[in-house]
Amino acid sequence: MPGEYKSVFDIIGPVMVGPSSSHTAGAVAIGRAARHLIGGLPQSVRIDYYESFAQTHLGHGTDYAIVSGLLGYAPDDGRVPQAVSIARDQGVHIEFCEKEGPSPIGHPNTAVLHMQRQQRKMTIYGCSIGGGIVEIRRIQMAGYDLQTEGMLPLLLVEEMDQSLSNDGQDKGDRIADSIRAAGALRQSNTYRSGDGNSSIHVYDLDKPLLPELLQQISRYAPNMIYIN
Amino acid sequence: MFASIQELVSIAQEQDLPISEIMIRQEMERYNESRKQVWHRMSQNLDAMDKAVLKGSTGKGVFSSTGLTGGEAALIRDYRSRHVSLSGDTMLAAVQAAMATNEVNASMGVICATPTAGSSGTLPGVLAALKKRIDLDRDGQIRFLFTAGAFGLVTANNAMIAGATGGCQAEVGSASAMGAAAAVEAAGGDPPTCAEAFAIAMSNLLGLVCDPVAGLVELPCVKRNAIGAANALIAADIALAGGSNKIPADEVIEAMHEVGMALPSSLRETGIGGLAGTKTGQGFRKTIFGQ
Repeated sequence: MPGEYKSVFDIIGPVMVGPSSSHTAGAVAIGRAARHLIGGLPQSVRIDYYESFAQTHLGHGTDYAIVSGLLGYAPDDGRVPQAVSIARDQGVHIEFCEKEGPSPIGHPNTAVLHMQRQQRKMTIYGCSIGGGIVEIRRIQMAGYDLQTEGMLPLLLVEEMDQSLSNDGQDKGDRIADSIRAAGALRQSNTYRSGDGNSSIHVYDLDKPLLPELLQQISRYAPNMIYIN
Repeated sequence: MFASIQELVSIAQEQDLPISEIMIRQEMERYNESRKQVWHRMSQNLDAMDKAVLKGSTGKGVFSSTGLTGGEAALIRDYRSRHVSLSGDTMLAAVQAAMATNEVNASMGVICATPTAGSSGTLPGVLAALKKRIDLDRDGQIRFLFTAGAFGLVTANNAMIAGATGGCQAEVGSASAMGAAAAVEAAGGDPPTCAEAFAIAMSNLLGLVCDPVAGLVELPCVKRNAIGAANALIAADIALAGGSNKIPADEVIEAMHEVGMALPSSLRETGIGGLAGTKTGQGFRKTIFGQ
């Protein structure tokens, strides 16, 4: 199938706090992905909205929805509508900006999150494609500019040196092989840092990885990031 | 995995199984889950739908914080008990459940998106009618949702289901077509008849724009779901009677996609054109959000 929807529960679901699956539940999912990527609740976040998101975020509760995701709430959590004040009470600095002009990632429901947590800065470009399903199409972090295919799940593995594993195989290839064997690899890309000393492997996945496989990968890639 | 309605219908016919069963088996295989797990998840979604219908239909109903919508599902309930309605009580049961769900959604209550929150009332509306008319039991209701989901997957992958990309035809239009197909299976129709009902229902709502007043999922969304449910039942009946849409379901999905792409941004969930752009619609926007 050419499209991105795979599960019957992408269509019948999610169970969520209203009012909009793309602008509320999808926004929770963008926030949740951002939380996973930066490793927890950011200390500051600026959220730039484009097109439909810019025009209707107030009416659709997009603000509290994205922040709910950053707090790690599920889309049907009763605290969702109060998320912005809950996060501000926890000391998170939050800004919302309505941007003019087209989305930088070519979708009318676009939110770009500029985040900081401890020493880490990250910008993620998310869009909500309908029915609560989201794509993360671009991630900027630590000098990298990662262009992903968009659909979740997504696995990122950062490698500090280009060492080969014991059997002489490149770590990135080895991970790709094990994901391919599980029938879950859509595509993989490797990005090198500016100084060439480190790299990030990005794996676009066709379906969620089973916990056993994730555990196996995390043994030789402890700093992996998996977003589902 | 089926890439088209035609393929879905062929698979069901070859295996001599209902479409709900094709969907259940595919879900089990893809996610390595047991039938019990998949069934249970759908059962929980049905619970969420039932709760929303009940909440919106109890007492005076629910009201959104803006005051734009609310309480009308309760009005329908009272009207049903006191009057001989023009469209019949089965139809009004559908209308009541559809509006109750979307009123709960507008009041930031919990609903199940089917396929979206804006169109979350359509399938519960169809289900209410099937419960009343053909005593569809709980297992049948869960199967209904799998069938609807199978048709929704093809629609989402070959066209779109977001108002921001395709207008309301992609939301309530898709939900209504999904509901029509699933209603046919619930009533004992075969897979080609399901596809026919789908095609008829989607054709009927082609071109419907997404023009929410003040950008809120309230006006006209709540009542559009009433139409979505009613249209699904009508399309299912036409198909079960032997009527044909002539244009096949997959081509209708293509047409929906093409119409969606042609809609200007002002009519795709920006709260600018259509009813949102009327003098009264703009007035509501100013009252709710200021200048």
